[in-house]
Amino acid sequence: MTSLRGRAVIGGILWAAVTILLGFAGLQSFVDQGAEERFDELLLTRLSQVVTAVENVAATNPEAIAGAVGDPVFMRSMSGLYWQVENDSGQVFRSASLDDHVLPRPRLLVDAAPNDRFLGPMGDPVRAMSRYLTLDGGSLWHVQVAKSIRGLQQELAQLREIMLTAFTFVIVIGVVGALLQVTVALRPIEKLRRDVQQRWTSEGGLDHGKYPEEVAPLVYDIDTLLTRNREIVQQSRKQAADLGHAIKTPAAIMRNELDALARAGQPVGEAIAALDRLDAQLKRAFGRMRAQTGIAALPAVTEMDRSLGRMVCAFGDMAAQRNLTLTADYPPGQRLRMDPTDLEEVLGNLLDNALKWASTAIRLTAIPQACGVTITIEDDGPGIPPDQIALAMGSGQRLDIAKPGTGLGLSITADLLQAHGSALLLDQSADLGGLRARFRLQSVQAQG
Amino acid sequence: MRILLVEDEPVLAQQINTVLVTEGYAVDIADDGIAAEALGVSQPYDTILLDMGLPGRDGMQVLKNWRAAGMRAPVLILSARDGWTERVDGLDAGADDYLIKPFHMPELSARLRAMIRRKSEQASPVFERDDVVFDSRINQVMVAGQGISLTAQEMAVLSYLFHHAGRLVSRTELSQHIYHHDGARESNTIAVFINRLRKKLGDSLIDTVRGRGYMIKAPE
Repeated sequence: MTSLRGRAVIGGILWAAVTILLGFAGLQSFVDQGAEERFDELLLTRLSQVVTAVENVAATNPEAIAGAVGDPVFMRSMSGLYWQVENDSGQVFRSASLDDHVLPRPRLLVDAAPNDRFLGPMGDPVRAMSRYLTLDGGSLWHVQVAKSIRGLQQELAQLREIMLTAFTFVIVIGVVGALLQVTVALRPIEKLRRDVQQRWTSEGGLDHGKYPEEVAPLVYDIDTLLTRNREIVQQSRKQAADLGHAIKTPAAIMRNELDALARAGQPVGEAIAALDRLDAQLKRAFGRMRAQTGIAALPAVTEMDRSLGRMVCAFGDMAAQRNLTLTADYPPGQRLRMDPTDLEEVLGNLLDNALKWASTAIRLTAIPQACGVTITIEDDGPGIPPDQIALAMGSGQRLDIAKPGTGLGLSITADLLQAHGSALLLDQSADLGGLRARFRLQSVQAQG
Repeated sequence: MRILLVEDEPVLAQQINTVLVTEGYAVDIADDGIAAEALGVSQPYDTILLDMGLPGRDGMQVLKNWRAAGMRAPVLILSARDGWTERVDGLDAGADDYLIKPFHMPELSARLRAMIRRKSEQASPVFERDDVVFDSRINQVMVAGQGISLTAQEMAVLSYLFHHAGRLVSRTELSQHIYHHDGARESNTIAVFINRLRKKLGDSLIDTVRGRGYMIKAPE
């Protein structure tokens, strides 16, 4: 199980269910026992009542036992309460409530002990008590009372139903409480997730003071980790820029010397080719370095219209110098999940490519869609045949060496987009007829 | 044409300087940002080549300060910073062009000429008046189809007048644009160069307005 919430909820419910079931069973046992004890006490009272009657009248006039008992409940037919008296001569006297039925002799002959359960005259279960007593004349009498336990069963069933309802209510309250407790307990974790997400899109750090003391150390550690990560990426990029500067200036000097020697007729073609390879390798390496550190730790949100506006303005001038028309259509207010420098690198490479190949027109459009924006750059140049598109995206592949360039622009662009979870799609522009380059970037909701 | 070259790497600066001088430019070199900024605002350069990574003051800041001070000479950035953001930042700060290191010297020369032409609103690198043809790409002058040999100073004077055709150019202005900062500047020598040019190219090409300066007529 991977969900913390799931674990907490299921664990809480299981524990609550076990607790409630044990409580229910214990309480039910207690109630049952209490009810049976009260039942037995009443039955014992009835037995005493009949024993007293037998002691008073049985020796002289056994037929008067019924009158001596006197309780009307013993007079009413099948009332559920019965008595039966038997002497050692085999004479049996019984309550009118038994009609013609006879109570079976109990199996246990223990004095005054609640001793048996059996079916009564109505076929309903009864509980019986009996006692042997010897009268003054020496005669032995067996006195027995029995009472239907149906009423007791009904009472217990009713109590059980009430308890079940009550415990069901407790279970519902318990489950809802567990859910609420989990929600409240996990709220700092959800806040941390939101804060970390937001931290990707802003320079600010995480404030561990706003978290509960159990979570605060984790928040502090995450914030430290993110800050360190960001510093490493920034240092890496700066070192790459410094290294680039340190290498490119001597490379420029070497190139000038070689060019001068070439103009003087010296055989330096291989050296110039090697320098070209060195330049291309450096550009490729720096491009990869940028792509690999692009999404890692920098605040990655771009105000789209600002970046597009800058690029359109710069490339508009370049296009005008080449008698090309650059048109742009993009909505304001969009914020994209990409580092601004990386987005401008992507736009610059694609616009520069379009500038090289367009005959008369270049068009840039940005269309918002669900949770993202699709940016398209098209031109009316020769385009790339479908079977060569994969080749064009390859590192250092130049499909036409008549145009200047290293052939790395599309490859670096594809790497950068991939690092930001996007992809570069190349095909033919439907109306302009040249190359159409498209990519989709995730939008970031405006923060209040 | 007078160029300010801002480059802190002395070997590269010397290489560029050699090529530019060969092509007839008067070149001043600054090897740090502070000196570059001071020269840019005090001298009338036709074009400036500006490195970005400079000691003293960053090239981008130098450029912004120049533009804030009203310096209008075209600026070509020479930089190892090859990201599009840096390039657009440079253009937004007021640069006219951006060349990534390492570069080919012929490309630098071509871009430099294009910038100078744009500044003087000349569309073509080849200038023609009557039977005189001046090709600024190769510094070649033809009269009636015949090649004419000019000294570096004569070529510089002719180039400046052609790039500002239709406008009266004073001797002082000419001397400011054909000599570098440390060069011996005597406006009297300008008259000598003009006389030599008239002898080689004919009297009708350059008009003299006595006491005010010289002018090549604008193309019709």
